[in-house]
Amino acid sequence: MTDKPKIAFFDFAGCEGDQLQVANLEEKLLDLLEHVELVSFREVMTGHADDYDIAFVEGSITRPEDEERVRGIRARAKILVALGACAHIGGVNCMKNFMDEAVYREHVYGHKARSYPTGPARPVSAVVPVDAAVPGCPIDANEFLRVTKQLLLGMRPTLPEYPVCVECKMAGNVCRYERGGLCLGIITRGGCGACCVTEGAQCWGCRGLAPGANLDAARYVMQDRAGFSRTQVQDLMRMYLGHTTAPL
Amino acid sequence: MSAYTVHQGQLPGLFRLWAKLYKVHVPVQTAPGFYDFAPWEPDTEIAWDYDLTVNPLKRHLLPPREDLVVFDTRTYEARGVFQAPQQLLFGVHPYDLRAIAQLDQLMELGSPDRNYRRRRENTVIFALDPLRVAPDAFWSTLGAGRADIGFDLYWTKIGPAMFFVEVGTARGEELLLAAGEVERAGAAQHEAARRTREDTRRRADGHGLKFPWQELPRVMAKAWDAGIWREKSSMCLACGSCNLVCPTCYCFDMREELDESLGKGRRWRQWDACMLPAFAQVAGGHNFRGKHLDRYRHRYFRKGKYIFDLIGEPGCVGCGRCIKACTARIANPLAVFNRLWEEYA
Repeated sequence: MTDKPKIAFFDFAGCEGDQLQVANLEEKLLDLLEHVELVSFREVMTGHADDYDIAFVEGSITRPEDEERVRGIRARAKILVALGACAHIGGVNCMKNFMDEAVYREHVYGHKARSYPTGPARPVSAVVPVDAAVPGCPIDANEFLRVTKQLLLGMRPTLPEYPVCVECKMAGNVCRYERGGLCLGIITRGGCGACCVTEGAQCWGCRGLAPGANLDAARYVMQDRAGFSRTQVQDLMRMYLGHTTAPL
Repeated sequence: MSAYTVHQGQLPGLFRLWAKLYKVHVPVQTAPGFYDFAPWEPDTEIAWDYDLTVNPLKRHLLPPREDLVVFDTRTYEARGVFQAPQQLLFGVHPYDLRAIAQLDQLMELGSPDRNYRRRRENTVIFALDPLRVAPDAFWSTLGAGRADIGFDLYWTKIGPAMFFVEVGTARGEELLLAAGEVERAGAAQHEAARRTREDTRRRADGHGLKFPWQELPRVMAKAWDAGIWREKSSMCLACGSCNLVCPTCYCFDMREELDESLGKGRRWRQWDACMLPAFAQVAGGHNFRGKHLDRYRHRYFRKGKYIFDLIGEPGCVGCGRCIKACTARIANPLAVFNRLWEEYA
């Protein structure tokens, strides 16, 4: 029997909610741990080792020391997986990128702002190469399991490439637009089961843009057809998609 | 064909009885202006006058996600999974009946789909004549306003509390008579049902194809290079909504996943859609319908020609669900077919 792959969890700017989703897997997590050795996961264990094969990285990169640290993780890990929206696409942290740096530093650090250098929030992939991602805010625990199992089996992890609409229709929902609402499901990568719309809310785009998302059509739907203002659309698109190249 | 007259007062007893034998699904209003099929409960209010349900009935025969095989990678054992609940679909409009009849034929072609067939065998269908016509509907001009096959019973509301019920199968008749005597329909009830259908048809006929649907494949055959494909598809979100709400779209994708033991797993299918870019993607990343235009055109050729060539009728029943579901307002078989008729007839 060969050694089990060693896995480690790391967090940057974020709420650690994605690691919480992993911890909440409970028994399934224990089953998975039959196949891996956990060397670092501060939400569930003490201790840490710098010898690991798969690094799950949560949070976005925003401070100079973050960059240095994530480069170190990249150098040690054979496989680096971005865990959750902040690591995958920058997430809500990127909202600050549209504000003046002095304003948000002052807001967070008060009169000590000068002592804490911080810059634009970015996804991990903006700093180091990322091998795979588990999208979402928070992540879908079953998707984490699937991606991890695929990695353990030597497969390339797969994510749905279709927009949220597909799973929304599978769930049998009435379209948010038919009820007079705004929704980013039309351009957001599926895989979440359209959970937010199913629960009566809307899609905020936390899983990032679907590959090939037609942003011209989306703008036509949101503004010209549904009648929302450019500001309303922009605010919604900046919530999670601030780092994308989408014309915001 | 025998027919009966059923009074509203007889319904609760019948439904209670059917619900013991079947999972009964009936049309209900889910929000103002929105209808859908929902499981019947003793206090369910049936939407007798619904115009269109948000979702078609295919999910009861071809669920969005369905396990097909469970396997063990250590013992190399595999076993088919068949789930086929006893179910009764009550209140199915004729265009949806036509759609199910199409699925029945298409799922039998080539290698018969055993999972579909088992579900279908355990499904009783009670049709219902529409009293209202949805704004985007054009089923009447596609000949889907009336169905002669594919139902166990066919209900027509002929009065505030009275129904004319036509028998389609022995199973249907048995279920109708299961709670006791039911009055045979007389000439007056036959006539009332005919008038009800005429009323609906008159309203439905006003909106639809400008040409006989039999001409569709001939028109489509000339329309491969039509300008409408590029014009409409540039705004396509590639979201698959038009496919997914379509009562006759049945394409699915196959997936496999191991459980956390990494020893046991299952294979399932889930709805797929030809408007999704990955639908026609094959090994090596090649995609034989990589552009919006290719996919958009393909869907209309499926509906207007390919399915027609297989079974002799269009793969569109004119329900109008895709027109409603398309947020970019480009999905519209009626508008596309009528325009192609003008350009290529």
